[in-house]
Amino acid sequence: MAGGNLYKLLTIKKLNITTFITGVYPIKLHYQGAVMLAIGCLISCILVFMLLYMLYKNIFESKHDKWRLISDLLIQKAVFLDEEEGENTTIPVTSRAKKLLRSRHFRRLLMQEIMLAKKNISGTSSDNLIKLYKQLRLDKYALSNLKSRFWHIKAKAVQELTVMEMKEYVEQIFSLTNHPNELVRMEAQTAIVQFDGFDGLQFLDTITYPISDWQQIKLLQQLSTAAPTEINIDNWLQSTNSSVVAFALKFARKYNRFEAHDTIIQCLDHTKSQVRLEAIHCLSEIYTEETASELMSRFMKENIKHQVAIVKAFENIGSEDDIPFLVDLLDNKNNEIKINAARALIKIGKSGLNSLNNHVEAVGYPLNEMVMQIKGELAA
Amino acid sequence: MSWQTFILHIFTYGILLYSLLLMTCYILIGIFSISETRRYLHKNSFTDYRVLASSDELPSFSILAPAYNEGSSIIENVRSLLSLHYNKLEVIIINDGSKDDSLEKLIKAYDLHKVDYFVNERIKTKKVRGVYKSYNPVYRKLIVVDKENGGKADALNVGINIGQNNYYVCIDVDCVLEQDSLLKLAKPFLENATHRVIASGGVVRIANSCEIEDGKLVKVNLPKKFLPRIQTLEYIRAFLLSRMAWTRLNGLLLISGAFGAFDREVVINCGGYNPDTVGEDMELVVRMRRYMEELGEPYKVSFIPDPLCWTEAPTTFKILGRQRNRWTRGTIETLRFHRKMFFNPNYGLMGMLSYPYWLFFEFLAPIIEFLGTIGLIIYCLAGQLNYSALLIIVGVISVGILYSIFAILMEVITYNQYKNTKDILRLVLVAILEPIIFHPFVVFSAIRGNIDLIRKRNSWGEMTRQGFAADKKV
Repeated sequence: MAGGNLYKLLTIKKLNITTFITGVYPIKLHYQGAVMLAIGCLISCILVFMLLYMLYKNIFESKHDKWRLISDLLIQKAVFLDEEEGENTTIPVTSRAKKLLRSRHFRRLLMQEIMLAKKNISGTSSDNLIKLYKQLRLDKYALSNLKSRFWHIKAKAVQELTVMEMKEYVEQIFSLTNHPNELVRMEAQTAIVQFDGFDGLQFLDTITYPISDWQQIKLLQQLSTAAPTEINIDNWLQSTNSSVVAFALKFARKYNRFEAHDTIIQCLDHTKSQVRLEAIHCLSEIYTEETASELMSRFMKENIKHQVAIVKAFENIGSEDDIPFLVDLLDNKNNEIKINAARALIKIGKSGLNSLNNHVEAVGYPLNEMVMQIKGELAA
Repeated sequence: MSWQTFILHIFTYGILLYSLLLMTCYILIGIFSISETRRYLHKNSFTDYRVLASSDELPSFSILAPAYNEGSSIIENVRSLLSLHYNKLEVIIINDGSKDDSLEKLIKAYDLHKVDYFVNERIKTKKVRGVYKSYNPVYRKLIVVDKENGGKADALNVGINIGQNNYYVCIDVDCVLEQDSLLKLAKPFLENATHRVIASGGVVRIANSCEIEDGKLVKVNLPKKFLPRIQTLEYIRAFLLSRMAWTRLNGLLLISGAFGAFDREVVINCGGYNPDTVGEDMELVVRMRRYMEELGEPYKVSFIPDPLCWTEAPTTFKILGRQRNRWTRGTIETLRFHRKMFFNPNYGLMGMLSYPYWLFFEFLAPIIEFLGTIGLIIYCLAGQLNYSALLIIVGVISVGILYSIFAILMEVITYNQYKNTKDILRLVLVAILEPIIFHPFVVFSAIRGNIDLIRKRNSWGEMTRQGFAADKKV
């Protein structure tokens, strides 16, 4: 009754308002039924798919467990192959394993297991794993995967050949160091450095795509286990690829390439901000008597971030000659520059500290707090 | 046609269009999230994080963890943060004027001493009372800052002022992080050679009922209680579908305040967190994006789907209601502050797509739903609701369920944290029950958020946590 009154109040008696909420006024009932049926079917399909997927996964996992046992057995045979049995001895492979090798999924699992084992062992056992890899002709599969149109398969193949030390394919891999896909070229670059150590960095001469910071860190990390060789980095420092220049600067800093000092100084005028910043970092460790004046001459032209980096560099390279420059910076409006200038002065030694103490603002805020903090840091 | 009929037609077709647009968004989100997740998983399979964890070449990070009255668990939580696998790290705990004994406990447990410290106040904040460091070299990464109470945004701003590194990670101090979470979060900042990555977010998962030992997650379990369980589904849907899809488009506007990494320089240039909003996490990302758009520099907001951070979800409707109320107010405030970007082509994809999406489908959705429900009740009372209309309502709900089940499928195919088939079926059941039991409550909380904002009630609301201890393995 109340509902009826309310309905009258709304004065929309003549209108069929069955669809007020749902907005399907023009849709006929049987269409609505069809839409509902479609949604219901879709939900059922996803549910069935999910359940089937889980079932498949469970079945596949139990199958995987059996395959893993076969793989482990193969790996064990290879790892514990007696050295005295000679180089020409083949690793015994069961007929089941041979049959399974036709399966792409088994090969993938076997490869995962071999790679995992290879990363954790060395010496003869490691050589035996390589032998097993070649005996099973897994390298040929990897080689064919190198031609795949899918980037992740291509990259995986490169990774596989790298871990298994397949140096004979270095040419094919080298051609991928400048591949348009980032992951493929990253893996290829890693492979070349793995095979040839410092000499492997030759790809930097030709690369046109950028090398990400992540890849630069990876390459440097990888080089840390290789024996250093004499390589000329001047070309890289003058490369048109700014990421190559940035990498060369990191390299120079890590391996103390003092002979490149003059070329590094040129990088302070590079058009790319990131390269200039890297050059400042580099010069804080690779420096000569002229470095300080070169940095000072560029100080005013730089942005705040780079100015702070320059002042921080003086903590390492600063000498008594630089005291006037640093004392001037104590009047800078930027507190970060101010505190780093104070720190650099204290690190120069007694004369630097005296200059700091004699500064007009030394006893006032904020310099007094900055000095107390620095002294506390040094005392800790 | 009478004017009543005309208005009713407009309303009817409006809602029809809105529903269709929303469904289209769901489909597109599904497609884009599949593509982005696939790409990420392929890429990630090539990375050996262990090798790089000890590298000196990695950038330094500061972890900022604001703490307010966290005395009951702060010692364990700090220990967990100090044990993260990352070489170049400083952990900054900001005691935001806690009324309990958090600071005293920290001083005692970590052998802290007050040090002289010049706070470079690049972002204006409440007064810092003291900075504490440990003389014990084991805790050399730890800095504890004691400050006057000013809220989460203010505490984070203090952390940004104190921190010395180019990047920082903000986390809720009671979150449990995976050991390699920082490394994974750091990677996006380093791998993009063409765009500046200004922020990177990670997936937050529900830790209720999980086994946690010494601040580390030992075993993942589906929450036993209904409310956290339903939030588990919500989080899967939001992180695995929505955020991945927006990342694909480079249109992500929100990185969770519980766990996200940021470029400190950009944050400072933007003025830091805004203490005048309760949605400081979203507001910051929007402001950073706006700043970069105005600067004209190519940039990216990244997001990774790995489950890296585990947090305790509210277990009562009261606390959950406060949380959702706050989220709504935060969204509205952010949209209001940045209304200039609405369909403004100068802000690219953010102005033309991300902002309008948030306005129409995040802010307006509960309001439209609420009005629709009122209308539905009126027409029920008027005896005018027929079978046809009911069928369509069920249809709309079914699409929602379909979307949830698709999210569960994505979880099963990708990270599969809940390995037990029964747990997956429980999640499916939750997906079916959610629109009836949980969703009306969320809509109601959002409406209350709107009302509170109009009435200028702007508090955070107390967030009482049960603590992981309750679920710890004994």
